Amino acid sequence: MEVKSGEFRKVAAATMTDPRLQEALDGVYTGFYKGRIVQALTTDRWEEQREQGRAIKAHVIENLDYYLGMFTENVEKNGGHVYFAANAAEAARYVVDLAKSRGVKTVIKSKSMVSEEMGLNNVLEAAGVEPVETDLGEYIIQLAREAPYHIIAPAIHKSKEQVADLLAPQSGGQKVEEIAALTRQAREQLRPVFQRADMGVTGVNFAVAESGSVVIVTNEGNGRMATSAPRIHMACMGMEKVIPSVRDLALFLRILIRSATGQRISNYVSMINGPRRPDEHDGPDEFHLVIVDNGRLRLLADPALREALYCIRCGACMNACPVYRKVGGHSYGWVYPGPIGAVVTPAMTGLKQAKDLPFASSLCGACREACPVKIDLPRMLLELRSQAVEGTAGNIKHQPEARNPEGPAERLVWRAWRFGMGGRMRFDLGARLARVALLPVARRGWLKKAPGPASGWTTSRDFPLPAARSFRSRFKRVKRAAARERTMGGGHGA
Amino acid sequence: MTDRGAFLRAVRVVLDRRDEAPSVAPETGLSVGRDELLAEAERVRAEAARRAGPLLDALAESAAKNAWKVVRARTNEDAAEAVAAACRSAGAKSVVRSDHNVFTRSPVDRALAATGVQVTVLGRGGTASDAGRGRLKAEAFAVDAGITGADYAIAETGTIALHPRAGLSRLVSLAPPVHIAVVERGSVLPSLDELFVLERESLLRGELPSYMNLISGPSRTGDIEATIVQGIHGPLETHLVLVG
Repeated sequence: MEVKSGEFRKVAAATMTDPRLQEALDGVYTGFYKGRIVQALTTDRWEEQREQGRAIKAHVIENLDYYLGMFTENVEKNGGHVYFAANAAEAARYVVDLAKSRGVKTVIKSKSMVSEEMGLNNVLEAAGVEPVETDLGEYIIQLAREAPYHIIAPAIHKSKEQVADLLAPQSGGQKVEEIAALTRQAREQLRPVFQRADMGVTGVNFAVAESGSVVIVTNEGNGRMATSAPRIHMACMGMEKVIPSVRDLALFLRILIRSATGQRISNYVSMINGPRRPDEHDGPDEFHLVIVDNGRLRLLADPALREALYCIRCGACMNACPVYRKVGGHSYGWVYPGPIGAVVTPAMTGLKQAKDLPFASSLCGACREACPVKIDLPRMLLELRSQAVEGTAGNIKHQPEARNPEGPAERLVWRAWRFGMGGRMRFDLGARLARVALLPVARRGWLKKAPGPASGWTTSRDFPLPAARSFRSRFKRVKRAAARERTMGGGHGA
Repeated sequence: MTDRGAFLRAVRVVLDRRDEAPSVAPETGLSVGRDELLAEAERVRAEAARRAGPLLDALAESAAKNAWKVVRARTNEDAAEAVAAACRSAGAKSVVRSDHNVFTRSPVDRALAATGVQVTVLGRGGTASDAGRGRLKAEAFAVDAGITGADYAIAETGTIALHPRAGLSRLVSLAPPVHIAVVERGSVLPSLDELFVLERESLLRGELPSYMNLISGPSRTGDIEATIVQGIHGPLETHLVLVG
């Protein structure tokens, strides 16, 4: 998919002034966000399981070649075909070539963020193969020809009226209004597609190394359709999705699902261990798996950002993020929005065109608190800010084009700041000078309008005048007074 | 085409790792050895048998929370009647039934025939021909209900687990608008932890089936305005008959 993160400011500004989008974003907060908190409070050993999940992911990522090797050997032992793709284009070409060689006319897709990276729908269409998204949210945005707004709820930004307008033409113009009726209408539209599709494309929630299993989690049943009805199953995954043991699934399903939607379990969890066997009634004849790098190696190469590969794609960080809940999903300009998107988009696609993203955070830490594997997103956002300003990028070679985006004026300010903070005397003097300088423009101790470039600060709030006496000097005086009182024998009641 | 060896080598170089097996982290299930795991699986089965009553009660409660229509049946005959009653209440006239051991004990087909429901029964051997599988697919999408047993159920989450080894079709529990599942006393496990101990046991014994499906009530979506709607691509309505 084309990266449009360079338009962050423009799209974010438009979203924040759109009352309908703001209302839709509230739904994310009330639904998913609260659901996760309830689960965190009512699940036994929740914190312990987060720690354990994190430890397992850290272990896998530090030994990723080993576990990927074990996993792919087992997939092949189970009768599956594995294809490694260095980038999205290579992965898409494999899917399309296979579809063409097998005479596939229609592909049904269960939600797969990796296939969004590949822009797979466009590539299939261009090759004359019909791709149909079957997750209701993905189906809606496919009809609208848009990118997902949220990794769990892709069409969260669409009102039911907009959905009605998108679905009606698919039912010969018949328009329904209520949400339940719209859902039923989508069901009726997609059932014949499930029956005629030749290939099912799915994502992968977990890939189990010791068994060669891929695990797919859905609520709608479309993931099961895609792995049961067509004669070919094609699964697409990022290379970081591996977990070591079948037993680890209990823990990871628990923390993924509870963090994602606030459910105890999703309605359907499918563990796929290869194609249909001869004594079965149905299921795919062929099982193919595409494993993509597409920038993940760059994340792996930077020890400061490697942690981003622990992500299990639950979406909890975006639900918790006060910035995501204002600027919405499309501002981030690629596949992954929210705090995790602000880290992986610049790291995977290049900092230059996504340099605004690491700054789209108040560093409040809500994302880290919500993350089921405790990814330290604020730390990585700071790291990327530093890389954006300094032009250094860990192990990745310097990106001089990203150097110092704010220019020499900002550098001067920071230099003055550093000087001012460099010693006690300088700091005290600075505070006093600031008061003297601001006194003529302040009204009753508050600055209503700051001068020049600082005016942005005061557009929505006042700035307090520095106090006449600093906290330190007042504290000293209070301490002296208290000491005097003690020595004067104030101990009544002794 | 990116060669696997080259792909893995690039990962290894970036990680600065030697080409050898790491010492397995104690947090992962991989650190549990075969003998220990097999012994644990025995304990899981013994515990499921010992606590069969309370676990069935717990399942009834958690399943109801997931919008399963839960029916308790005392005997196998009662269970067969409950399946027929579920078909009547859902207005189901035609059903496909997967094979499962529970149906050798519970006379479901007789009860359904008495209600006037037309039943197609799937055998243990699978469906060999493409044409046969095509017909089964069309039938699964056309009938009013699908009936299955359950290999395990999970009290923690209100879930049933289905394996293909019992002559099961994937589509029977998925394509018809109504799914009716029969769970026997003794097959209920406390949580996902125990389920995946048993799955790992199957793997270590070389008996891992081609898939496992966990089903936790009717299909649902919240994709329009974050409003939860029951019934989208999978069944609109699910019934759970608990025997014993």
